[in-house]
Amino acid sequence: MKKNSIWSIIIAVLVIIVALVIHYVPGPPKIVRAIKVGIIDCYSGPPAVYGKDALNGFKLALDEINKEGVLGTKIEFTTRDTKFKVDIALNMAKELVMRENVDVLVGTINSGAALAVSDAVAKKEKVPFMVWISKSERITGEKGHRYVFSTGENTYLAGKAAGVALSKKPYIKYWVGGDDYSYGHDIANAAWRNLKALKPDVEMIGKSWWKPGEPDLVPYLTAIMSAKPDAVIFCTGGASMTNIMKAVKATGMSEKVPIWIHTATDHAVLKPLGPEAPEGVMGTIDYHFYYPETAANKEFVKKFESAYGNPPGFPAFHGYITAKFIAKAFDKAGSIDKEKFIDALEGMKIASPAGELEMRACDHQVTLPMYLGVTKMSAKYGCVISTDIITLTGDEVMPTCDEIRKARGK
Amino acid sequence: MDIGQAFTFSALASQFLVGLSRAMILFIVCSGMSFVLGVLRVPNVAHGSLYMIGAFSAFSIASLFGGSPTGFWLALIFAPLVVALVSLIAERALFCHLYEREHLMLLLFTFALMLILGDLVKLTWGAEYRSIMAPPFFRGSIPIFGSAFPRYNLFLLIIGPLVAISLWLFTNKTKIGKISRAAAVDREMVGAVGINVSWVFAAAFVIGCYLAGLGGALVAPTVSITIGMDHGIIIEAFLIVTIGGLGNMWGALVGSLIFGLTQAFGVLFWPQFAIVFPYAAVVIILIWRPTGMLKSVW
Repeated sequence: MKKNSIWSIIIAVLVIIVALVIHYVPGPPKIVRAIKVGIIDCYSGPPAVYGKDALNGFKLALDEINKEGVLGTKIEFTTRDTKFKVDIALNMAKELVMRENVDVLVGTINSGAALAVSDAVAKKEKVPFMVWISKSERITGEKGHRYVFSTGENTYLAGKAAGVALSKKPYIKYWVGGDDYSYGHDIANAAWRNLKALKPDVEMIGKSWWKPGEPDLVPYLTAIMSAKPDAVIFCTGGASMTNIMKAVKATGMSEKVPIWIHTATDHAVLKPLGPEAPEGVMGTIDYHFYYPETAANKEFVKKFESAYGNPPGFPAFHGYITAKFIAKAFDKAGSIDKEKFIDALEGMKIASPAGELEMRACDHQVTLPMYLGVTKMSAKYGCVISTDIITLTGDEVMPTCDEIRKARGK
Repeated sequence: MDIGQAFTFSALASQFLVGLSRAMILFIVCSGMSFVLGVLRVPNVAHGSLYMIGAFSAFSIASLFGGSPTGFWLALIFAPLVVALVSLIAERALFCHLYEREHLMLLLFTFALMLILGDLVKLTWGAEYRSIMAPPFFRGSIPIFGSAFPRYNLFLLIIGPLVAISLWLFTNKTKIGKISRAAAVDREMVGAVGINVSWVFAAAFVIGCYLAGLGGALVAPTVSITIGMDHGIIIEAFLIVTIGGLGNMWGALVGSLIFGLTQAFGVLFWPQFAIVFPYAAVVIILIWRPTGMLKSVW
């Protein structure tokens, strides 16, 4: 044999020995790494107030959780701004999964973004994604799957609550108006579907759609009032809520025509309006910091207020329970394993400021109550709040597991 | 909705008035932009941001006085002045050095200014919704032609023409106004005659931005004051200024009227697609008269 060949063989053998050593000889003990949560949400523009609120609720819960830790380690998080755009949300989610190697994805507010991330990132990369503000029912309904969860309420629940509330009233001719995007249409369809089922003689005499965030809604309202409906259903999202409330008050519509708007009773909307918020508007929401006045809720509100200087809104409540669910599920799973996390999370119950909540196994949706109320000025809070509150429990408003299975085409 | 229902006199009249009052706000904002466009030959992309700063400043001033009527009136006087000051600083510190440069540079500068101002607003006022109220006299509605018409919109219907007349008087009867018009037509000649063209430009820019701030302050009680306001208004302002005739103040008025009224009537006749009407009108006008309805200054 030539000299070169001998050297090649010796090197090859050495490489094999080194490879075997690396593979079989145990290295230094592994440090248990922190649990990483990646948050994609909107932190710019009008929806930023909700994203910030959710993050604050999440951080408040993490402070409590990280005192004892989970699985001997802490939960860390990192945030990315989606600017309420679907393509940016997708890029951010992919970056968090591929580069940051997050164990759980959390977010967002834009329903379109939530659906896109759920499909293209959560399902494809098999990373659990917990949606906390987006309200489209399709997230856990027809587009739901093993890797997506929702800790927020959705248009199905809101629609059912609306149907229950409005079917008890004597109104027949309805006008429906709202933001021209997925949330607006989803909530219109859900409310109308339920109302028509419970009260077949209702009639929709017209529809109006405007671009989300449209600043001047007065022409739409005057046109609607000219048509003289018995009642009006408005389907406005975060961008238009304040505008519609202001326009309703400016045109005096709330005194002339009964109106129902989902999240009309949201404190984040009513507080900045002050005395300019219209009274007598019906609204639904799944969290009030002032109702019910249970010890758990009061304690949560007190801690939140001392940490952030203002009372928690529904996003903060969702953020808080999301953190609690994550911690308890990893604890039950026993390791930082995504599949074990999902199995543990299904059917999990936690204690929350609103009582015990369950993460339903069949659709990965948290069973949340709905509070239906009417806006009225409160001397105590110096602004308009929800009064005459009727509570609809989670079981009364959630879709049944059969309906979910049918919607998902199983 | 039956089309038949849309044609009641009451409905048409109230929509007409609502469209008119919306047109007034658009006119105040667009006249400023048109003025700057005419004299400096630069479309100021940051005009929307200045409108937004006007609204936020009005909020701050009104809140200082606890939302009382004095606060509102003071906001209306001082918020546009704040915006004028901001624009003066931007102009004298940075903008004026670019006048000799290519046209595109000026446009890019205003675009950069829009981004910077947008973030400055977020830093100063935060991301939350803000709201201010009109004085009690302007709240509520009065029945006109059988429909409820918000009182504040009536106030806008009075202010709009006042601004238009003041602007006309300024450009035609005052010395500075006449010099601005001359600079819009032939800036070299104005310089040759011995007038400091740089200061003419500064004055024109500040006045245009003052109008943007005034529009923002006036619109503040009717909408939620948020960070996205600049993007919403700038597209409409560009379209209005284009269909009215570049640099022509009366063109801005005509464009605003078209925009405001088509939107209001579109809502009445075809509410689901009402968004389309003003833009459809813009397309039709541009096909028919590509340079705009009225004579453009250049």
